[in-house]
Amino acid sequence: MNTNNNVYTVIYTTVIVVIVAALLAFVSQSLKAKQDANEKAETISQMLTSAQYGTKAELDKLGNAAKLDKYAEEIDEAFVIDLEGNVIRELNTERENLEVYSPKELKRQNYNIKGGANKTAEPELPVFVFKNGRTVVPIYGAGLWGPIWGYISFEKDSDVMAGAYFDHESETAGLGAKIKDDPSFQKEFVGEVANFGSSNVIEIVKGGAPKDAEGKSEKDNKVDAISGATMTSQGLDAAIDTWLGAYSKYFLNHKGQEEHCGNCQHNHNEEKEEED
Amino acid sequence: MDAKLKETILNPIFKGNPITVLVLGICSSLAVTVTLKGALVMALSVIVVCGISSLILSLLRNTIPGRVRIIVQLVVVAMMVILVDQVLKSFEATYAIDKQLSVYIGLIITNCIVMGRIEAFALGNKPWPSFLDGVANGAGYGLILLIVAFFRELLGSGTLFGIDILNRFGYVPNNLVILPPFALILLGCIVWVQRSIQKDLQEK
Repeated sequence: MNTNNNVYTVIYTTVIVVIVAALLAFVSQSLKAKQDANEKAETISQMLTSAQYGTKAELDKLGNAAKLDKYAEEIDEAFVIDLEGNVIRELNTERENLEVYSPKELKRQNYNIKGGANKTAEPELPVFVFKNGRTVVPIYGAGLWGPIWGYISFEKDSDVMAGAYFDHESETAGLGAKIKDDPSFQKEFVGEVANFGSSNVIEIVKGGAPKDAEGKSEKDNKVDAISGATMTSQGLDAAIDTWLGAYSKYFLNHKGQEEHCGNCQHNHNEEKEEED
Repeated sequence: MDAKLKETILNPIFKGNPITVLVLGICSSLAVTVTLKGALVMALSVIVVCGISSLILSLLRNTIPGRVRIIVQLVVVAMMVILVDQVLKSFEATYAIDKQLSVYIGLIITNCIVMGRIEAFALGNKPWPSFLDGVANGAGYGLILLIVAFFRELLGSGTLFGIDILNRFGYVPNNLVILPPFALILLGCIVWVQRSIQKDLQEK
């Protein structure tokens, strides 16, 4: 048989590609449930890290099931808000049907916040309140090579940050990847004060954030950028500004309040009645 | 025939090792050897990809149109790499390692060992020897990875497979060992040792 015939070549490559594509689609579909479960546990451990329930390494020693247990145990309430800071709906916090926002969902909401051609609906922003009083909100944006995302936690009813955890898809190892791999970078956010209401909620600055007399970073909204990773730092800065900007009204409404708003209180009562 | 088969298996492990003699796959061997666990998963992935792609392409070798053979090889290798990546992502035990290895699993596609062995061996040999050749080359690559990772994890973190070995004696982990350049230094040492044992590799 003449394998150098044009028709044969075209048919051969077509058949090979179709077979491979079908096989990969089948495998991807059949493994999807397991991969989603792993991703969910990973998301949960990132949120717990941000809310200071332990370092990422400590939490990673727990298995998937233990991570879900810990989350279900420690979560106080989780709900979705709109840009005005009003609660739209509650998120399920029962152990078996935990609702968290995967990076894929964050991507969709990122388009909704930014508007433009990719906007599909009004933004629905998740808020996770843990029993230690910390409020965790996600951020999402573009790094240098691919998406970056993360979770920032705030002290109870305040604009002081309690922790942060960032993750990325394909930033450069040793440079941009430090947003995830370097705990000291994430620690810089602790104690910094977000400037809600301005367009620069958090500033990631080159050349060093202002220091106080003891050489510690001042408790303002400025954080040191990562040397050699200007693009990733800028991407993270933009992602934080976009997302915390979208959360601004919620945080401004709650700032300094001891109790939640009347609406939330109402929901609490309802839940209690159901439990009874 | 038997002796030839034995040669196919043993040659890539030592005498014709893909990393130290052919100097292929250097990039990934610097990147994934910080921990033994990562190196082991990477080594097994390369063995699987290399072995099975060689087997598939050897089975197809008489039907592949000559002009598009590289593309056909690429499609098969890419398929195997994606399969391995998907499987690693699916298991709880390997998910964290897959995240840690991140792009390097996907970059097995560009590992010269895989395409090199297919082009040089699998397209001209029967399926069984091709499969063994692929596995043996993957194993030769994996062996060097594990040697490098052994020293890097022991000296860089004081642990082996995450189990504390040196730290309990007050050892302070050496950060230089964690950085990629040290892997290159270690690789150089391995090449040095191999060439002093195997005199015919020394250039006059």
